[in-house]
Amino acid sequence: MAKSTSKLLVLLFISTFSASVFMSGSFASSLEDEAAASIERAEDSMFSAYQVVLKAEQVGANVSALLGRLNEAGELLDEAQVAFRLRSYDEAVRLADLCFEIGEETKDRADELRADVYGSKVMSDWLTMTCSLASVIAIGFGSFWGWRVFKRRYYQRVLRMKPEVAKDEF
Amino acid sequence: MNFEEYRTVFVTGSLVLMLIAAAPALSLIIALPDGSERFSELWLLGPNHMAEDYPFNVGVNETYSVFVGVGNHMGDLMCYLVYVKFRNQTEPLPNATASEPSPVRPLYEFRAFVADGDTWEKPLAFSVLEASHNGDSMFVDRLSINDVVFVVNASTRWDSEYKGFYYQLFFELWLYNMASQSFQYHDRFVGIWLNMTSS
Repeated sequence: MAKSTSKLLVLLFISTFSASVFMSGSFASSLEDEAAASIERAEDSMFSAYQVVLKAEQVGANVSALLGRLNEAGELLDEAQVAFRLRSYDEAVRLADLCFEIGEETKDRADELRADVYGSKVMSDWLTMTCSLASVIAIGFGSFWGWRVFKRRYYQRVLRMKPEVAKDEF
Repeated sequence: MNFEEYRTVFVTGSLVLMLIAAAPALSLIIALPDGSERFSELWLLGPNHMAEDYPFNVGVNETYSVFVGVGNHMGDLMCYLVYVKFRNQTEPLPNATASEPSPVRPLYEFRAFVADGDTWEKPLAFSVLEASHNGDSMFVDRLSINDVVFVVNASTRWDSEYKGFYYQLFFELWLYNMASQSFQYHDRFVGIWLNMTSS
């Protein structure tokens, strides 16, 4: 009876110990997965923000403030990656989440800025095109009119001229 | 001047004026290539922000600093990644002919968004925290970069030609590729040789 009880106790101890080892392993693995997912999400957010900032820059927006925010996000992501490599998964998640927030905020701001600048750029481009075209037409008509006036005066001047014959030429 | 010459002058003058007036509209339609070369710079400066006094003879628990910088001349806003790597003399450097990075795993990394014509620079402080010396072998266990501790487990042998235990701290430049949506090695690296003097 005592022998079977001790066996049962040993078995219970072994199963409890192996369960705790298994549980801690799977807990660490889930933390690692969570940290990896957070980093991936932060990275996606930061690069989509970068693409929107790039488009805003290409339409002529001043993106220096947004660039500063992107660099902040980049630094946080660097730290998150380093923390992940050093197995500080909680810290990696915290830093990646901060990076994600900055990425999303920057993306929204860049989108707004791009829309504003794009609207005013389209207006200014239309104005430039219209003024330029109007100037070309005005110069064309002006030249044509000027040429006709010049031609008329030229003929009048020629017709008013009296032919003279110089003696020495004969 | 006869009448024909007057007409030529008039027509030429009008066309020149029309071309000048059309130039702003044409500049919106026709994009002329600027012809400048596209490239990126990667540099390393010593502790005094000059290309001198680089750390060379390195002792345990001593802190050394350098500055790593990137210059963007790619014509657009770019996203760079700088990997910091540590190797001994036998581990490979990046392959310049094949444009391949070093297979040595990165310890630290910097991401930088740099506008065209702009530069980016960061300080980097490093120290060897643990190293052991056994005959003609040196073993560096732990290294700290910007206060983050890394286990490196890098060993090197005595270099009888240059008389020292040499390691190299080097920096690789990677560039974000929009098409593949990933970083690609940008074929640039800089590094400094470190001679472990004490353990």
